[in-house]
Amino acid sequence: MALILLPLVFGMIAWFIPGNISRIFGLIASTVALAWSIIAVSYFEPNEHLLVDFGLRFVRFSVDSLGFTMILLTNAVFFLVFLSNFNTSIVHEKRFTALALLMQFGLLGLFTTNTILGFYIFWELTLLPIFLILYWFGAFDKPRALLQFFLYTLVGSLAMLLSVIGLMHLTNQQTYDALLAADLQSLGNTSILLMGGFLLAFAVKIPLFPFHTWQAETYTKAPTAGTMLLSAIMLKMALFGLLKWVLPIFDGNATDFWRWPVITLGLVGIIYGAVIAIRQQNLKTLFAYASLSHLGLIAAALMLQNGDTNLISVVQIVNHSIVSIGLFLAAGIIENRLGTQQLDQLGGIAKVAPHFGFWFAVLTFVSLSVPFTAGFIGEFFLIKALFNAHTFTGILASTTLVLGAVYMLKAYQVPMFGPTKVNSFQDLHWSELTVFAILSIAAIYLGLAPHCITDFVAHSLTQPTH
Amino acid sequence: MDSIVILFISGLVGLFAGMQKKPLLSIIIGSIGLIGAGLAAYFKGSYISPLSSYEAYVPTQGLIVILLCTVTLLAILGGYKRYAADNEHTGDYLALILFSLCGAILMAQPNDLMLFFIGLEILSIPIYVLVGIEKGSSRSAEAAVKYFFTGSFASAIILFGIALLYGATGSFQLIEIQSNLAIGIWQSPMAIIGSLFLLAGFTFKIGAVPFHFWGPDVYDGASNAVLMYMATVVKIAGIYALVNVFGQVFRDSYGFWIDLVSLIIVLSMFYGYITAWKQISFRRLIAYSSIANAGLMIFALADTHNSNLFLFVAAYAFATIALVVINSIVNDDTDSLVNWEGIAWRHPLIGIALVISLFSLAGIPPFAGFFGKFSLLWAAVPHVPYTAILALIASVIGAFVYLRLMMSALKKPSVVVRSPLSLEQSLVLSLTSIAAIGALYFI
Repeated sequence: MALILLPLVFGMIAWFIPGNISRIFGLIASTVALAWSIIAVSYFEPNEHLLVDFGLRFVRFSVDSLGFTMILLTNAVFFLVFLSNFNTSIVHEKRFTALALLMQFGLLGLFTTNTILGFYIFWELTLLPIFLILYWFGAFDKPRALLQFFLYTLVGSLAMLLSVIGLMHLTNQQTYDALLAADLQSLGNTSILLMGGFLLAFAVKIPLFPFHTWQAETYTKAPTAGTMLLSAIMLKMALFGLLKWVLPIFDGNATDFWRWPVITLGLVGIIYGAVIAIRQQNLKTLFAYASLSHLGLIAAALMLQNGDTNLISVVQIVNHSIVSIGLFLAAGIIENRLGTQQLDQLGGIAKVAPHFGFWFAVLTFVSLSVPFTAGFIGEFFLIKALFNAHTFTGILASTTLVLGAVYMLKAYQVPMFGPTKVNSFQDLHWSELTVFAILSIAAIYLGLAPHCITDFVAHSLTQPTH
Repeated sequence: MDSIVILFISGLVGLFAGMQKKPLLSIIIGSIGLIGAGLAAYFKGSYISPLSSYEAYVPTQGLIVILLCTVTLLAILGGYKRYAADNEHTGDYLALILFSLCGAILMAQPNDLMLFFIGLEILSIPIYVLVGIEKGSSRSAEAAVKYFFTGSFASAIILFGIALLYGATGSFQLIEIQSNLAIGIWQSPMAIIGSLFLLAGFTFKIGAVPFHFWGPDVYDGASNAVLMYMATVVKIAGIYALVNVFGQVFRDSYGFWIDLVSLIIVLSMFYGYITAWKQISFRRLIAYSSIANAGLMIFALADTHNSNLFLFVAAYAFATIALVVINSIVNDDTDSLVNWEGIAWRHPLIGIALVISLFSLAGIPPFAGFFGKFSLLWAAVPHVPYTAILALIASVIGAFVYLRLMMSALKKPSVVVRSPLSLEQSLVLSLTSIAAIGALYFI
């Protein structure tokens, strides 16, 4: 219980502390939350379900091993976000600290809730902090871009709300286990529509190909910390929802109906995102499209609903969080020091900032999924699963490796080794160095021992389904 | 019945205190009266009332009376600054509001159409006066005249509807009307026209399309202090009366009017939200937002047995009052949204109350507005699924209206101006915020 409520309490306190210690407060709060979850996980039997009930009618919590993985991931991401931005101006604002902690609460609630309405409530709850963070700290020239992001998200959410209401009415159930047991096959086309509502909300968040247009501009204009939060953890809400809620519940004709459309959109996203990324001149925009490409792969593979693929996609979800924190941190460092992210104005940074050059390279290779990093395990097995489904999809999906190499190497090579255009560049702050080191170690550890996640998660993902 | 008597007496006493130029005293008397009326409703039945023989005439549920009293209490506290500034009329404001509230309680859940009509008039006539209470202002006078003429017209239509129903069924009692209609009379032209007239009159009173046109002008001309009362209590009483009369009397002709009602819902929501988007005046924006919210409230008609209207109207009323109180801090004489820029930075409480109220109105969890909307839609979806889908699409537009207002209010100004809040304003803002979050525990 404290695991979920801790960030909320810290978030409330954060409004009342003086601005000059807010960055230390944020760091301490996220460290405590992370430490608490690590302690909790050491006492946690992977095959049990912790039930938490605050006496609310529509919102109850239950923590299983998948939920715990996501809790750990969330707390780690928030710790890393606070740590990596320790040297930037945003953490001096207590508003940011408080909103980020509130968002952490929303995410923890989403990953642990046991009721379908609770899922919707926490899904929406995360909107409030991210909206305020983007609005207050983002560099949006016009509110139009921000409103576009919200238009997409709200349309998706309302479609999901309709589906939630419909699902609760038709099955007369609201908890996860009861919904799993409910017979949705007999609903026929209605269940296809209900699943469509959920998928629309998820497609906006992931994002899938035609719903991605908010992504690039939001990522580029948002503050680095906001981009990290969005990409490292908020998008995972949709993948988590797909993995834990929608696919198991709608197992049967609804999933069969939506499988190939979603896989197609995922594949289009893989190739389209990568091709657009190659042509980008702005570093953050490039990483935004790279993210589109990577997440398309996970979404497509998830739709196959193959037990092993589900396990591996959790590894890939964690890996993508690592990669996106690292890459957006690198982009943020460059933007913070030089005031630009345009590739044509950058060059030769590695000469003046060798530490940065080294760690950015490590993260680039993690993102390229070279062997011995978590990305290799993830992408290899996901692409293999897509090959097994159909050779053609496998071939299309594997283009991500080749195209990914093109844009990632360009994103690294031009600013770091290109013709010298940057003469002075302050090298890494200790906080940034720590973050890069943690990320690299985590990526390599997961690359060597992915089973520490898959074995743990297997307890909740390989439950007997009907 | 006790509540009404308490309100009436405290209104009278408050009126005399106001005549002695003691605004604080009169507001205290009014507050005590409201709290007393709420308590009387809460403990109804658990003590022996001298008026128990009249109880049957006012069957309004205790919960609704408490809601109406609470909302009015917040409204008079929020508007106190204005009343006190207008030293001549403090007692008038207070007494008129309390008298009007008596009418609201009388009409909210009627069992007799005649008493309902009397309640309606007791509710409306003080408001005609309140709208025009600023004698010097031409806008106020214009609004009062407009409201008076259109309001009387609507009352006449309702009265005509009641007369037709009486002609068709021979009774004013809702139960008798229902049992007479049930044997097939509802298909007679007289009963059908009567029900349509009633529907039109109700639509007018709660300000839904197509009888919404008075709203923006009247809200614009009324002062903030009056608006707080008018935009909330009138709607709550009106919608409860509508649900009660239609749910009880016309449930056999459900299939006949539900399509019409769906049309009213959809039109109100789209019209209200789309028009609110381009407003530059805050009170007009609130007027259009209230048109859209009236549309949402009518969803309660889709299933009158299961609908949980209470949460939604309470959330709407609290959020609206908080916003109007905030508006009265910057915009007491003028009324422009330009002044809202950076308003959240003037005081932390303003910022918190503003964000919570706007998110609550936009229907985003975990605030009361979401649960209100959810419980309305929850009951309505099985009956009118397509209307619910359209309503949700309209609420996306609505969310943008509120987000836009919020963005302008949260914009950090170059120079942060602090404006102190008076005690009663901070009380209203904190209470409304707590209510909006606390609703989580009542679902």
